[in-house]
Amino acid sequence: MASSAAAPNRLVRDLFAKSWAGVAILLVFYALIMLGFTLLSPYFLTFGNIASIGANMAFIGLMAAAGTPLIIAGGLDLSVAAVAGMAGVVVALLSARGINIWIASLAALVVGGAIGCGNGLLVTRAGLNAFIATLGTMSIITGCSLVLTGGLSQPLNATDFSYIGSGTVLGVPFPLLLMVVVFVLFWWVMARTPFGRRIYAVGGNPDASRLLGIPVERVQLTLYIVSGVAGALGGIVLASMLGAAAPDAAGQNLLTVVAAIILGGTSLFGGRGSVWGTLLAVLILGTLNNGLTLLNVSSFWQEVTRGSVLLLAVGLDQVRVRFQTR
Amino acid sequence: MSRLEMRGIDKAFAGVPVLRNVDFVVGTGEVVALLGANGAGKSTLVKILSGVYARDAGTIAVDGTVRRIATPADAIAAGIRLLPQEVSVYPELSIAENISIANLPVHRRFGIASTDRRLMRRRAQELLTTLGHADLDPNRLVGSLGLSQQRVVEIARALAGEARVLVMDEPTAALAEAEAEQLFAVIEALRRNGVSVIYISHYLDEVFRLTDRIVVLRDGEVAGNFVTAAVSHETVLHAMLGRVVDELYPEKSTRIGAPLLSVVGLSQPGCLRNVSFEVAAGEILGVFGLVGSGIERVGRAVFGAESAARVTSASIAGQPYRPSTPRAAVRAGIGFVAAERKREGLIGMLSVRENITAPFLGRFVNGWQVDTQAETRDTRHWIAALGIRCTGPEQEIRLLSGGNQQKVCLSRWMLGSISLLILEEPTRGVDLGARREIYRLIRQLSADGLGVVVVSSDAEEVAGLADRTIVLRHGEIVAVLPGSASASAALAAASQTTGSAA
Repeated sequence: MASSAAAPNRLVRDLFAKSWAGVAILLVFYALIMLGFTLLSPYFLTFGNIASIGANMAFIGLMAAAGTPLIIAGGLDLSVAAVAGMAGVVVALLSARGINIWIASLAALVVGGAIGCGNGLLVTRAGLNAFIATLGTMSIITGCSLVLTGGLSQPLNATDFSYIGSGTVLGVPFPLLLMVVVFVLFWWVMARTPFGRRIYAVGGNPDASRLLGIPVERVQLTLYIVSGVAGALGGIVLASMLGAAAPDAAGQNLLTVVAAIILGGTSLFGGRGSVWGTLLAVLILGTLNNGLTLLNVSSFWQEVTRGSVLLLAVGLDQVRVRFQTR
Repeated sequence: MSRLEMRGIDKAFAGVPVLRNVDFVVGTGEVVALLGANGAGKSTLVKILSGVYARDAGTIAVDGTVRRIATPADAIAAGIRLLPQEVSVYPELSIAENISIANLPVHRRFGIASTDRRLMRRRAQELLTTLGHADLDPNRLVGSLGLSQQRVVEIARALAGEARVLVMDEPTAALAEAEAEQLFAVIEALRRNGVSVIYISHYLDEVFRLTDRIVVLRDGEVAGNFVTAAVSHETVLHAMLGRVVDELYPEKSTRIGAPLLSVVGLSQPGCLRNVSFEVAAGEILGVFGLVGSGIERVGRAVFGAESAARVTSASIAGQPYRPSTPRAAVRAGIGFVAAERKREGLIGMLSVRENITAPFLGRFVNGWQVDTQAETRDTRHWIAALGIRCTGPEQEIRLLSGGNQQKVCLSRWMLGSISLLILEEPTRGVDLGARREIYRLIRQLSADGLGVVVVSSDAEEVAGLADRTIVLRHGEIVAVLPGSASASAALAAASQTTGSAA
């Protein structure tokens, strides 16, 4: 009597235990919501709409792409969205003083990297808890951005600069392309290079890694710098899209960044995760937002939906991990 | 009438039988050893007894009454207590609270129920006295106790109810020799009080000292049931392994090469004082001492993993060397295998392949990318050469048994060119069969010209394996023993209280 029920149960269990099961679940979920919105709204499945979802999520995707390896390596960067805000401010203020917009952008990237380096040193050298250290720098950076701008949005009116946020290549929005390129690059580094392997080793067991001669602190420091640079890049994209640098425009997206990484199957305890999961999660969150807006669902309910999806996904992932452990 | 009678126990997992018609009987106040190589069915039998697994067939009777044991709660109600391998206590609670935690005595004051602290303390005092530890103050925090005393508290907690059968799974695995002595005294006290003990251990010496009877399981069947006083080590080993056991330890080296590592004045505040030694190529140097002797720091200090350690001078292969970081040590040609495999040795979520290539990943790089094919090829080679039992290079390392994990930890260092290998407690938590293979492997490595340092608190292991042994006490070298020295000589040197050692 038990065996007839056990057979399909086994099958589900075996499927769940595969290493790619997490990404597969997300893919199925993504397909389902795409299908649902297509049936519910005639405006949803159009090239323009899908492209705009990608473009609108790009700056979040950039931050989440860099956040994924950092969390896998056992780190955390809560300041990344604040860095994005600061980057826009740096570009706007420098270009307002007549400095070339591209040089200003480069400066913003350097500032982002420097902040990331500061975060990394606080965590790896001073030994502060990553959550607390980057919560602190997040507040400092947000405050500095507000001080520098007096809390006002700074206009950015360089035509060629707006290409970053609003340009297209063969009809595909440039930010979307940029995001995809960055994700492919991160995938390649994490899956194929020795540095990528060390990311997983360091996050999986820092003590063991240290005793194997892996430079644990250096790996983490590098990833904090990368996160800072990616935050700045996201901020530049956002500022270009908006045509202005708002000091507090990016900060509210921090939770979305972290939610995307976790929804994508990356373990907050380190050692496990992939950028493809994060990319899918970014697309899922963007699609939900877009689809619900098209269906005239109030943004208050969208907030509820996003939280529920996150909990559902994390719950499913727990089940999966439990199957894998057995 | 027997205290415990398990009759005709059968158990299969997914159609594979793990226990076949096992009879296991324990008398009142009897101490019975349950032995067997890994996978013999020891832990399955114990889990059935404690209600964790359901048996497929058979009966369990306690004091002549057949008991239905389907859940851990049933087992506890039947008076069966399991002490797991790892000590599990609440370090922030007092001894008395730890002992009564499952059943805190309550009294009412002004209509409000609260813990009867006095009764709780008295209970604890009584139990500790029974166990021969009347000197322990029930108010002390358990976190302030040594490991063996925590073990005593755990045993007292198990006795707090109506305990009739106590199952101890490798109770001395984490204890030093002197601490184990305390535990043995406690087991004597249990015996006197009529509590039956099922004792699972890899240490044959302990088993022969402590137990009345030895039951051996092999491949899920009872392979032997001996009265301890009337049986030899060889007979028991034979029953466990099912074949004639050759020496556990390989031959000692006769050809020691040129000096390889020389350490002068290794010191670490509070742990090590002026420790100097040399290791030659082809030599296995033992570092032996009891807990508190500081031996657990020696290996890692040389490896650069103890930032507070200092040396007056050191050299490796003629080059000056200064321990700074593990990374620098690896570059200088030193490999290290930590005692705590799970915590410091394995990267559990990664595969066998990724674990093996971790320290010398640079050798598997082709352009910018890791050459996974080369990794797989080398991993397969080591899996075959060392007989690592796994489903293949891609299996997650945490799923392997202790002995196979240890082989992975050793094979890692074979992929690079190291000249010195430092091993901490190389066979802790490793079953007997794999132990011999690991000893052979270590000897093979040294015969190939490697210098090997074995840091161990197991006197038998050091005496059996090392060509020369330094013995530490209170952070200082108190004796240097030749390879011919016996385990008891090493133990004697390590435990002397007055400074008259050579």
